Amino acid sequence: MSKLENKIKVMPKAVVCEDSTIKGDVTICSGSVIHPSAQIIAESGPIIIGENCIIEEYAKIIHRIPPDHKLAQEKNHVLVIGANNLFEVGSTVEALKIGEKNIFECKSYVSSNVTISSGCVIGAGCHVVGEQHLPENTVIFGKNCQQREALDKVSGSHMLQLDFLRKVLPNYHHLRKPCDIKKAANLS
Amino acid sequence: MEYLLSKNVEYVCECGLLKPLTNLYFCRHCLNLRCFFCCHHEVDSHFCRNCLENIPSGEAKLRKNKCNTCFDCPSCTLSALSARATTIQVPMTKEVKEGGEGSEIEASSGKMVSKKMYYLACLACRFSSRDVGISDQPSQNFFWPEQEYMHAIRFNTILNHYYSVVLHDKQLKQEERRRRSTKQSKFPNMTDRTGLNVSAIRRQMGFDKSAAKPKSKPTAIAPSIAEDVDDLPEEIFTQPINLKNITTIQQRFTQPANQPESVKHLYPQHKNLSIKRSIRCRHCEHNVIKPEYNPTSIKYRIQQFASSHVPEVRIIKCDQLVPNKSALITLKITNPTMNDMIITIMDLPTEEEEKMMIEEMRKNFEKNLSVSNKSSLMRPSLIEDSRIVSCKITAKLELPDSSFVINQRDDSAEFDDDVQSDKKDPKFILWRKANKIAIQLSITPNGELKVNDDVKIGFSMNFTYSSVPSSTPEKKETQRYALCARIYINAGKIVQ
Amino acid sequence: MEICDMYYNKDEFVETASGNKVNRQTVLCGSQNIVLHGKVIVDKGAIIRGDLANVRTGRYCVISKNAVVRPPFKQFSKGVAFFPLHIGDHVYIGENSVVSAASIGSYVYIGKNVVIGRRCVIKDCTIIEDNSVLPPETTLASFMKFNNDGTIEGGQGTESVPAAMQDLMVDFTKSYYDHFLMAKS
Repeated sequence: MSKLENKIKVMPKAVVCEDSTIKGDVTICSGSVIHPSAQIIAESGPIIIGENCIIEEYAKIIHRIPPDHKLAQEKNHVLVIGANNLFEVGSTVEALKIGEKNIFECKSYVSSNVTISSGCVIGAGCHVVGEQHLPENTVIFGKNCQQREALDKVSGSHMLQLDFLRKVLPNYHHLRKPCDIKKAANLS
Repeated sequence: MEYLLSKNVEYVCECGLLKPLTNLYFCRHCLNLRCFFCCHHEVDSHFCRNCLENIPSGEAKLRKNKCNTCFDCPSCTLSALSARATTIQVPMTKEVKEGGEGSEIEASSGKMVSKKMYYLACLACRFSSRDVGISDQPSQNFFWPEQEYMHAIRFNTILNHYYSVVLHDKQLKQEERRRRSTKQSKFPNMTDRTGLNVSAIRRQMGFDKSAAKPKSKPTAIAPSIAEDVDDLPEEIFTQPINLKNITTIQQRFTQPANQPESVKHLYPQHKNLSIKRSIRCRHCEHNVIKPEYNPTSIKYRIQQFASSHVPEVRIIKCDQLVPNKSALITLKITNPTMNDMIITIMDLPTEEEEKMMIEEMRKNFEKNLSVSNKSSLMRPSLIEDSRIVSCKITAKLELPDSSFVINQRDDSAEFDDDVQSDKKDPKFILWRKANKIAIQLSITPNGELKVNDDVKIGFSMNFTYSSVPSSTPEKKETQRYALCARIYINAGKIVQ
Repeated sequence: MEICDMYYNKDEFVETASGNKVNRQTVLCGSQNIVLHGKVIVDKGAIIRGDLANVRTGRYCVISKNAVVRPPFKQFSKGVAFFPLHIGDHVYIGENSVVSAASIGSYVYIGKNVVIGRRCVIKDCTIIEDNSVLPPETTLASFMKFNNDGTIEGGQGTESVPAAMQDLMVDFTKSYYDHFLMAKS
């Protein structure tokens, strides 16, 4: 495996704690908050994290295509994570396509065979392993990963939480410096 | 969690069951171990485990043991529903001008007022009361509409019918009893011979208007006949099923009245109440455990745990177990009482000896019953014979050759660093620390054991127990007893 | 089984005046808001988020490896507020657990890999089994045991939680602290 070069692009207004582990080509769009001890590993290609995402401690976002996967032949597959996603403490997400406004609760696990659309909630402790596409507004809960459709829109957005975190975290943590937009534009 | 709920070391309760010391109680009057199985249980208090509110038992019975305010989620059946608030815009009417719960947005002749409305939501599966069509309520403690179920009326008529049947039966029995047992008084009554009774005279004089109580007859009910049973619609075979709309069996059974098939009819159920129970020894009818009534309190009014009277044995470590080879096992014994304890480790009784012990216990109990002549408070005490212990020993234990003393429990000893080693301890004692002692014994697993078989050893532990003086001022001296506890230890599995 | 001696290297842990033993490889954010009452062991990899709100633990608590202790938040119409998290005395939090409760009483045993949802209230003398997930806002009354299939069983006077839980947890946490020794090099 080629050595991972760290190419981390942090957009302005994103709060990324220094303590987090970020490896590979990762772009973090504006407004997102990454807590300390989070792990974002871009092995099989770049990761683009959308706006206003929250990635909490010990959350792992791993872009790793297993060798027997159907997309294994595709070089440079980009994992695009939509806006307004919430990755709670200890969640491990290896999915190859993530939509918007999803919530991955504590200690949930999503394997690379799963593609997730928008508005889904993966409950705490649920391991979603089988090859499937989760339609919109699916809620997975319980020990046996029961599924149900959420008719209610997932209660509000976490804008309020994001505001609070953006105010409080810089007081207690060292942050990665956001890169200049002009520089990034020049490079590409 | 092995420290708290370990099943390696089990004691024999007087009823013959094997239980770890944490599950045993000690009856101070019978001086014996008691367990959950061989004691009486009584309900002390009812409370809701979600809102932690104490509910008097009369009201609990009225509400069918369900909490008034808390609901169970019908979708995940495990977690409780909580009330969430939303604000909606309500057109302002003349009455709402004061704005009890709402706040006016526009101070001037505003037409829209924001009001807080509440709905129930489950945070585990994201179920909400709006999903089943329950409208939001204006107040958090407002009564959520109760669910109507189809057969309520029929149920009530059947219930009333059977109440009247029971009443009728009871009255018949009373009549029979009255007829059979005529009061035999020593002095013959003049009026009895002549047939003149007080009640007859009164009836003649016309005092008792309600002379004969009308005997109740059971109310007759019409049997329910299913008139028309619809045929199965053809669509059942052809329509594709959406699994998300069909309820699971578990979800159905939490609503036994309705048992809905579709997720749309899942209605929040009231939460069941929990109880606090007190435990009473069957032999002496004294309480062994009595908790406080307050749901949030963890104290006990009466607490007789076995772990505070009987010495506790824990395994520190055990060597690898190979059949027919001796291994060393280190045990830690703790003296929980405030007096020094002399402990002797002996062999377990054989089967015949066990049977004789059970016979003796039964005779003792019968003797006590006839002597005391008091029936128990509420119900006759049903005592089973003790059982013979069902555990088979699979290893031979070399018994230590002498008794040993364990010091009393001294709470201030933890601040003392001195180690007193004045006496010469026998060889099998490894170390002593305050009221703890570690002994090392050798065990030899039996030859016929195979790999992964459990190695079980057992012994009788005789210990001296000094009873705490009771509250009566007569007995002030502590009495010393020699008690015996039978212990079975699961030392581990055979490795080779 | 009795607790065996656990040895740690001298340079791995910091021992404070009140007897707290804190591993250097922990993430203690906002340490001025974290109050460890005394004789508390915080093992490697643990995260205590004092930056979000105050965190208070009682005496003789044990926070095992990789546990996350995080104050919960409540969303109001006007914003989000993180609530202080109070943990009582003699509490054992197992490895890899995520604790987001509003309050934890005393004499509580929390197993490994447990997820305690936001704003849960855990009363005294309770046991939470390994690998269980508590949904948010659950209340666990005293002497109740939370099983890993989500059911709650027990009550004062039953066998699920030992009746002498208070004494047991005091013994357990005290002997855990006593056996947590510095390796003599």
